Amino acid sequence: MSMEELRTGAVSTQENVARYLEAIEERDSEVNAFIELNPRAEEEARRVDEKLRRGEAGKLAGLVIAVKSNINVRGLRATCASKTLENYVSPYDATVIERIRREDGVIIGMTNMDEFACGSSGETSYFGATQNPSARGRIPGGSSSGSAAAVAAKFADLALGSDTGGSIRNPASHCGVVGVKPTYGLVPRHGLIDLAMSLDQIGPLARDVRSAALLLEVIAGHSDREATTIRARGESYSSQLSADLSGMKIGFAREFEEYTAGEIIREVKHALSKLEAQGASVVEVELPSLEKALPTYYLTVFVEFFSATRRYDGRRYGYRIEEVCGEEVLRRIMLGRYISRKEYSGRYYRRALQFRSLIKREMLEVLRSVDLIAGPTTPKLPHRLGESLTPLEMYAYDLLTVPANLAGIPAGVIKAGEVRGIPVGLQLQAGPLEEQKILNAMYALEGGE
Amino acid sequence: MRVTIGFEIHEQLATRTKLFCKTPTDYREAEPNANVCEVCLGLPGAKPMPVNREALEGALAIALMLNCRIVREPIYILRKHYDYPDLPSGYQRTSMPIGKDGELAGVRIWEVHLEEDPGKYDPSTGRVDFNRSGVPLVEIVTAPDMHSPEEAREFLKELVKVLRYTRRVREEGGTMRVDTNVSIEGGARVEIKNINSIRGAYRALKFEITRQKNLMRRGRVVKRETRAYLEAQMITRAMRTKEEAEDYRYIPDPDIPPLLITQEMIDRVRETLPEAPHIKERRFIQQYGIKADDAKIIASELELADAFEEVAKVIPAQFAASWIRDEVKRVLEYNGITFRQSGITPAQLIELLQMVLSDEITLKTAKKVMELLPERRTSPRKIIEELGLKKLRDEEAVAKACEEAIEENPKAVEDYLSGKKEALNFLVGQVMRKTRGRADPAKVLEMLRGRIGDGE
Repeated sequence: MSMEELRTGAVSTQENVARYLEAIEERDSEVNAFIELNPRAEEEARRVDEKLRRGEAGKLAGLVIAVKSNINVRGLRATCASKTLENYVSPYDATVIERIRREDGVIIGMTNMDEFACGSSGETSYFGATQNPSARGRIPGGSSSGSAAAVAAKFADLALGSDTGGSIRNPASHCGVVGVKPTYGLVPRHGLIDLAMSLDQIGPLARDVRSAALLLEVIAGHSDREATTIRARGESYSSQLSADLSGMKIGFAREFEEYTAGEIIREVKHALSKLEAQGASVVEVELPSLEKALPTYYLTVFVEFFSATRRYDGRRYGYRIEEVCGEEVLRRIMLGRYISRKEYSGRYYRRALQFRSLIKREMLEVLRSVDLIAGPTTPKLPHRLGESLTPLEMYAYDLLTVPANLAGIPAGVIKAGEVRGIPVGLQLQAGPLEEQKILNAMYALEGGE
Repeated sequence: MRVTIGFEIHEQLATRTKLFCKTPTDYREAEPNANVCEVCLGLPGAKPMPVNREALEGALAIALMLNCRIVREPIYILRKHYDYPDLPSGYQRTSMPIGKDGELAGVRIWEVHLEEDPGKYDPSTGRVDFNRSGVPLVEIVTAPDMHSPEEAREFLKELVKVLRYTRRVREEGGTMRVDTNVSIEGGARVEIKNINSIRGAYRALKFEITRQKNLMRRGRVVKRETRAYLEAQMITRAMRTKEEAEDYRYIPDPDIPPLLITQEMIDRVRETLPEAPHIKERRFIQQYGIKADDAKIIASELELADAFEEVAKVIPAQFAASWIRDEVKRVLEYNGITFRQSGITPAQLIELLQMVLSDEITLKTAKKVMELLPERRTSPRKIIEELGLKKLRDEEAVAKACEEAIEENPKAVEDYLSGKKEALNFLVGQVMRKTRGRADPAKVLEMLRGRIGDGE
């Protein structure tokens, strides 16, 4: 559905929900984007239509939203695509869900994902792998695999994902959709099930920039009920979109070419030339610490994830995580348990925190001289489903996306082009709270006015 | 053989809500698992709210009362990981020190910090009640500066008094938990957990020191270990050795930015602090010229001390002090309540004591009225009038009572006349009974002597 059709009332919320449910019914057995559908979606849609008739509806009225299964939605299962939580029906709404409901968005269901967001391919789910609707036979990327696939397959207008080291941007790139990882602390995390608390952020996935901006502005902004949101309001990103990039300086890091497949770089550069056509200038920048980003990221994730999973001790949720989880989740827990030992804490976790501030300093320094850092999202194209990768090969997918999480800065992905029919995403990174710059550049690339 | 003792003391802070959520803390009155939310249940995805200011200020006040240096660097909240049914998230949140290097009653205070209480696990049923989960605790760590169970007990009493003084800890009591470290020269340090009272600490230390001494006498080694105190049997039992010690894998909680205590906050909290009990005690002796023993007892509770100062504005200080020490304390102890809980006001005490001083009532009457004050929150004069307890001024009535007493107790009269002086006291007692305590005992004595003769 186009937002225009919804706004003019050409399509009702109920019709919108019905069409999506039909599409899911028809095609999701193939895509496997959803773990559970919301049985009250039609009822909620009816109520939104009533509000629309009375002229009292919120910003998201008419829109249908899919939610990653690590976000608590009251009454639905937040399984994290793990057997560990297969029976966990959430008794509360995450802050982002409260905000979506307040603006009359309808939640259609809970999407598939890599188990506990541990993965970059969408293959580690207890409920089976997700297909890439935009490149059949390939992985959709992860860990927000189902959310990106649902948007790409037209099972929903919008989706929520979460991004710890690229989990929104990586599948957005592979599926050819728009994805935004906001500034750390801009979007409340209450209700988001942890992977690594100091890196996790919830963000939107969409088929177009405007609706991504709209969902972002609804979920963004300070929350009193948690301790790590920053004192910022969610700006009205969607109404401030502008494709005029005159004066905008975009940096392209020479290190990107070193790590990325040439066919991807070609598409990225092509996209950059389009941005230049809209008034931006492109300069070369340096990110020498890029090589330290992956080890820094994974050490942090192992320790924080180990801590976060201690509650799955088998007493309250049915299973002890170590007894039922998949290989990758277990690997991270065991490594986290190992490196957080008293005798190593200085050597690993604290060292990781030190490198993290180094990387952050470097990113912020570069972003003082340019408005955006633009480059590829992943170093390689998505592999074929079922192809087996070593853990290190899998981790390498995250090389270009983890710096934004380590630095706490916003980053967005939009389709730059295709290589042999496989989407390739352009990644744009900006300084803290400069989401609008990213959205504007993406809007320009999309061909908006 | 020199004994060395140190403590880690946990006490619940008196706050309306829990440390990291807005759930009420009154877990005792509530049904099991009624006062819980996603945060204090550690549900997947739940995030802590910013640290409860009331709790932070409480810990700060206590650190200041214990003469600590307040930490001005960022204070991290750490996750202490361990696996137990009462811990819903698998880690307990505990702050780094808020205050350091304090001192109380000659014992150095190493640090004061904040913690969250876990739930309550009942191993006999396997049930867990999470109402307590997330209730703020203050933990006080002392240097190993005590050298006998008696010294240790004295310190704990002093500490409890100071904590009560701050009004920042839960008043109903029974929430204190103590871990103690004890070693004897030549032996390893042993930690004892699971102590819930001052008496428990004393008994545990007594037992443990004897156990360690016996081991050493038999030439055995005292191992470094953790032991549990078993209240019912009054013994300690091995829990785990040093080798089995848990690794808590402390990490700074990524969900909570470090706390920063500002000078403004320190100043504001300092203003609310009461004078320390030992300083108050000294001042009372100097300022009011009352006896040292009386001063100590009066200063044992802040509200009682405040009441004394009010009363002493009107009533001679030593008389007020003696009355509070003997009579007020007797009534409080009989009822098992604090002065604050009794609801007795300085105004009531002043009125009562003035009636004694102006000879309107006898001491005996005053004592009787004193007993009624905790339940009858009204003016003593009203109580006295209601019960008709005013002093008997009617000489004839007293004389009549004396005569009756003499007539009814010929044996006592005889005893007295044959030299048993105590018999007269018995007769005075009889007269007091007949006049319901309203007669002046001195007057009665005089009348009885006049009627019987002085027995010589």
